[in-house]
Amino acid sequence: MTPLTPLAALSGPDVAWYLIVAAILFSIGTLGVLVRRSPLIVLLSLEIMLNAANLALISFARLHGGHDGQIFALAVMAVAASEVVVGLGLIVAMSRRRLTLDVDSFRLLKG
Amino acid sequence: MIQAAWICLFAPLAGAFAITVMGDSITRRTAAWLSTVSVFVAFAGAVVTFVELLGRSAEEREKLSTAWTWLSTGTFEVGMTLLVDPLSVTMMLIVSGVGGLIVLYSIGYMDGDPEERRYFAYMSFFVFAMLLLVQAGNFLLLLVGWGLVGLASYLLIGFWHEREEAVAAAKKAFIMNAVGDATMALAFFVLIWQTGTLEFAGAFAGAGGMSSTLVNLVALGLLGGAIAKSAQIPLHTWLPDAMEGPTPVSALIHAATMVTAGVYLIVRAHPLFELAPTVQDLAAGLGALTLVVAGLVALVQTDIKRVIAYSTMSQIGYMFVGVGVGAYANGMFHLMTHAFFKALLFMAAGLVIHHLAGQQDIRQMGGLRHVMPKTTVAFLVGSLALVGIPPLSGFFSKDSILASALASGGYGVVLFLAGLLGALLTGIYTFRLFFTVFLGQPSKLVREQAHGHSEGAWTMTLPVAVLTVLAVIGGWVQIPDVWHPFGDWLHEVAEPLVEPSVTQDLLASALAVGLGLLGIGIAWLLFGARTREVPRVQAARQALEHKLYFDELYDGVFYRPAVWMAGMWRRTIEGPLIGGSIAGVTLGARRAGGALGETQTGYLRSYALAIAGAAAILVVVFLAVQ
Repeated sequence: MTPLTPLAALSGPDVAWYLIVAAILFSIGTLGVLVRRSPLIVLLSLEIMLNAANLALISFARLHGGHDGQIFALAVMAVAASEVVVGLGLIVAMSRRRLTLDVDSFRLLKG
Repeated sequence: MIQAAWICLFAPLAGAFAITVMGDSITRRTAAWLSTVSVFVAFAGAVVTFVELLGRSAEEREKLSTAWTWLSTGTFEVGMTLLVDPLSVTMMLIVSGVGGLIVLYSIGYMDGDPEERRYFAYMSFFVFAMLLLVQAGNFLLLLVGWGLVGLASYLLIGFWHEREEAVAAAKKAFIMNAVGDATMALAFFVLIWQTGTLEFAGAFAGAGGMSSTLVNLVALGLLGGAIAKSAQIPLHTWLPDAMEGPTPVSALIHAATMVTAGVYLIVRAHPLFELAPTVQDLAAGLGALTLVVAGLVALVQTDIKRVIAYSTMSQIGYMFVGVGVGAYANGMFHLMTHAFFKALLFMAAGLVIHHLAGQQDIRQMGGLRHVMPKTTVAFLVGSLALVGIPPLSGFFSKDSILASALASGGYGVVLFLAGLLGALLTGIYTFRLFFTVFLGQPSKLVREQAHGHSEGAWTMTLPVAVLTVLAVIGGWVQIPDVWHPFGDWLHEVAEPLVEPSVTQDLLASALAVGLGLLGIGIAWLLFGARTREVPRVQAARQALEHKLYFDELYDGVFYRPAVWMAGMWRRTIEGPLIGGSIAGVTLGARRAGGALGETQTGYLRSYALAIAGAAAILVVVFLAVQ
């Protein structure tokens, strides 16, 4: 297998802009996880955080012209997909049992 | 020849092992016979060894046999070594011969005991341990045997473990013997340090170059072990209590074999004692003290076995006097005859106790002559041998010791006078026992128990008969100034330091026999014919009944202070300091855990916030560091 050729240097906006967008997305996600009580929204916010990270990874990959960041982003997507499956499965199970869909009501694990 | 010695050693162990392993799959009677046969096999081995040794010239009778190297550290090496020489063969013959007879006797005596198998396994084990002690080819192996006989003694004294007194007596014997074991071990450490070996020959040769202080310490350590095992003052209080064990045990362990191990040790280690003459004198002095004190205490005891036990202490005192003045062969000679007549007395007493359904109090007995005529004869023979009336065995051996004490002069004369006093006491207490138990009119108890059954099963009467014969003829192997094969036999191993003249022999014999007869006469007046009242000296009587307050003394000097000190440490150190500090540590851990537990709210978002916050702080820190 022939090694991948290095990508051409980034053209367009400066890498800082991409990073700023990633940071904003990450903060939105974090805030969502912290303040929302519906498990569905918490899961959604988590996805936003993961995608913010992906954006940052790809930006840097383009900046340095390597492939590692892109491959890593793919791995993150796979993990995110699996996580959604598990998370949604849990949420469906909760609603089937007619439990309140509120993360604050699940607090048996405490000191 | 040496194979026979190994067989002699391990046959009883094999017997004990077989009985233990087979457990319930053999009957109690089979276990008993297995034990008896194993000990008699040992006896056969001893006899074969003895005959082989007889066929050799005196210089070639010593043989060492090492099976394997047992311990090896640097230059120090100890082998699993047996020593066969005239001294160890003598002991082998006594231990396995008398032991075999006593185990045979046990078959009848212990018949019907629910734990008979355990008893016979212990008995075989004891014989093995005792043989190991006497056959050991170095001091370490001797100490192993020494410890094992102590263990066997402990197990057998406490054999009737449901009896509180038996358990207490077993513990007492074990602890007092542990004191002696410890002093012996210390002596061996000094020997290893100074001579680098525990082989007999090497240690004796090396001891010549040691300073006199160290030699004295070594001899003192060995003497400590000897007096503990042989129940000499001041470590003697365990022996009378040991009579809580079954009577054959008393006969085997606490009369014929184990308690004489101290005498054997002194003879075996005599080169060390000769380098430390002060300690050897001390051994003789303690022996003389014990023989008088034990004789006095025996005068007022009311338990038939305890009287004989005190008599044992007293007779071992004679042996200590003998080996203490350097008359080794005479000490060993008395050891042998004593094994015969004392085992006989114990077993005859056992027949009486068996006949009277376990009663041991002589005040309940009397007139047994009418119901147990054969036992009466056996007991009489044993008593006469004990007092030393010619031509019975005790006469030759005891008087030879007295003559040697007299011959060593000076200090020896004091020992001689103590021995004479002892002879008088022996006559009184022995025949007090005989007259009280066997003569007179049958007591109430005797009449109740006299329902015509025989004096005992053949397994019990046969050993008694054999020992009666031995008690009569056992002394004939050595007649002072006439013939002395026994002395010649041991001459190569332990050369005597004193050689009494004919006059001294005659003088000692005449005085000792005269005083013995006087003692019997006094006993007859007081307890036989009862023409005289027993003198009432209340204070003396009370002191003797309390065994001269040795138990009370040790209780006050050792036991109470130890308990008091333990209690004090518990109150001042253990409770507040150790217990308190541990309580403090646990309380602190509990509180810290509770406080930390508060942070675990169970709210998902608080955890998320903690993670996010921590990540933010890390970012700030990284930036700041850069």
